Amino acid sequence: MLTRDLVLAALFTAIIVVLGLLPPITLGFIPVPITAQSLGVMTAGVVLGAKRGTIAVLLVLLLAAIGLPVLSGGRGGLGVFAAPTTGYLIGWVAAAFVTGLASEKLVRAQQSGLIQGIGFFVASLLGGVVVLYAFGVTYLALVTGLGFSKAFLGSVAFIPGDVLKAVVAALVGRAVMVGYPLLPQRA
Amino acid sequence: MRTLYVEGRSVLHRMPPRAKLLGLAVASIVLFATRSIPLLGMFCVASAAVYLLLRLAPREAFERLRPVLLTIVVVGLFTLLFDSAIEAAVFVLRLTSLMLLAAAVTATTGISAFMDEITRLAMPLERIGLVRAADIGLAVGLVIRFVPEVLARTQAIRDAHHARGLKPRMLTLAVPMIILTLRSADEIAAAIDARGLRGQN
Repeated sequence: MLTRDLVLAALFTAIIVVLGLLPPITLGFIPVPITAQSLGVMTAGVVLGAKRGTIAVLLVLLLAAIGLPVLSGGRGGLGVFAAPTTGYLIGWVAAAFVTGLASEKLVRAQQSGLIQGIGFFVASLLGGVVVLYAFGVTYLALVTGLGFSKAFLGSVAFIPGDVLKAVVAALVGRAVMVGYPLLPQRA
Repeated sequence: MRTLYVEGRSVLHRMPPRAKLLGLAVASIVLFATRSIPLLGMFCVASAAVYLLLRLAPREAFERLRPVLLTIVVVGLFTLLFDSAIEAAVFVLRLTSLMLLAAAVTATTGISAFMDEITRLAMPLERIGLVRAADIGLAVGLVIRFVPEVLARTQAIRDAHHARGLKPRMLTLAVPMIILTLRSADEIAAAIDARGLRGQN
């Protein structure tokens, strides 16, 4: 791995940590507050691609595990991995990987802006919603013994917020693609 | 960044990190192997005792647990409503015990001790060529070094918005923040290579 790729991943980890420090936003039509940190996970895949994006997210979890309060709301320490929602944290890694992989496959530099934006949105939706919830709901179902349908029912309120984040991630991905393209030069 | 480590001289502080992590792993296996409520209750009380023996200030001790405890309680109530009281009790006792033990390990293990252990654990991965163990420490150091910088940059972008009478939005905040931060990657990489921090490339 080139030093530049390692640095890019580490810098993106810093970005994800800072996104966790921004105050959560509450939108009128969605019952749960939205934190910017999981937006950072989708964006990592969209901006850096599969390999570097996955490393950036792994680093966030490593920092949290060794006792740094890097997760949104100042959470950190090994205790965060003992929550019923830990599946979503573990799922972040897969989410960044799938988002990155799909972005690499779907988006080309010579496509028009609209096509690129749609490609990034589909990639973010696939990684940041489908894959993420597959991990989160499975973990919740297993750890509580609730079963899939009830665990899914308990998580469904968060989905609109995450779809909205996929839109923002797509716009960010497209803007960064124009301003400082990194996705075409893969790690 | 303030770490969650607390200085002290307790037994847990003096234990090697590997023993603590192994203990935590064994505890989680035991916790998920049993469904007996009295046993889980005893385990939970013992875990609470371990955590309380660290003698953190009561407020601080609670603040550390609050976010995770909150999700456990919420999901516990959900389980109680939609499943049975027994399921809910098993789940709450299991995760609360695990959370208390994990919090105790975090409070008694410093970052450098953790990093030494992780670097050592990554050695087998280095042998199969998956990752360079020393890179992990380097990357963690880089993140800790650059979080304040990214934060200051975000604040500057926010100020620039206000100076122009614009309302800062997620998109107009995140895009310049990401581009400006990632642009410094070349310089940082060059500085690392110039100092030979990663050995021969």
